[in-house]
Amino acid sequence: MISELANAGAMPSLELTLRFAAQRQRILAHNIANVNTPNFRPLDVSVTGFQRELREAIEQRRARSGGEQGRLELRQTQELRTDGGGLTLNPTTPADNILFHDRNNRDLERMMQDLAENAMAFRVASDLLKSRQELLRTAISQRV
Amino acid sequence: MYGTLDISTSGLIAQRVRLTSISGNIANRSTLVNASGELEPYRARRVVFAPGDPSARTRDGKTLGVHVAQIELDQSPFNLTYDPGNALAYKRGPYKDHVPSPNVNVVVEQMNAFDAARAYEANIAAAETTKTMMNQALRLLA
Repeated sequence: MISELANAGAMPSLELTLRFAAQRQRILAHNIANVNTPNFRPLDVSVTGFQRELREAIEQRRARSGGEQGRLELRQTQELRTDGGGLTLNPTTPADNILFHDRNNRDLERMMQDLAENAMAFRVASDLLKSRQELLRTAISQRV
Repeated sequence: MYGTLDISTSGLIAQRVRLTSISGNIANRSTLVNASGELEPYRARRVVFAPGDPSARTRDGKTLGVHVAQIELDQSPFNLTYDPGNALAYKRGPYKDHVPSPNVNVVVEQMNAFDAARAYEANIAAAETTKTMMNQALRLLA
């Protein structure tokens, strides 16, 4: 009963977006921490790749249950791995930039942009999830 | 999410070590003799970073973040000043009557300090963003 409530509508996709943004934050922080590390090549996960897989999963759920109920099953790809409800990211997408003399092809501006965008995506997902939860809470307490 | 803050903190620590070595280089730019009074001009220290933290216990801790791999001595040649009357001047060899002085270039050190400060700020920004995200996630519970 509770799991059906939690798997209704947009909540599974919001949850996946939150997990993705939280895991990607680690990768972005790692790249920023290694901004002066020789021989380091910053790697990232493809956001469009994740969005494509998420869309596939939503389409699959629609085809499976016809409606808005049920879990989202993300396909396992090279970069995205789901195990036991968690989401593990394996960054393989390199950044295109010139190679500096310390053999690091950092791009600080791009890193900070990614950081800001990722934080925004996290914020949108958490705000939407919160409003869904409040809707549920209102329904449970039978208030208008 | 808590591990994310550790990553940014490791970056802050690494950049601080780098700034400390830069301060040491600038402070010792005129140091000609070692602790026992023999001629041994100071060699500039260069901090070398490497990803991960070998002393961490978890797999993520070993691969994520940054640590100071080693502090190298700059092997570039010493600066030489012609000063025949100086007691520290070379007595023989091709650089006879020259006094060696540390291979610290203050302009280079200044630029490295700027770079370290900017990298420190970038890590601060990452930590701030992570903190905001953690707050938002915790607000889902309340």
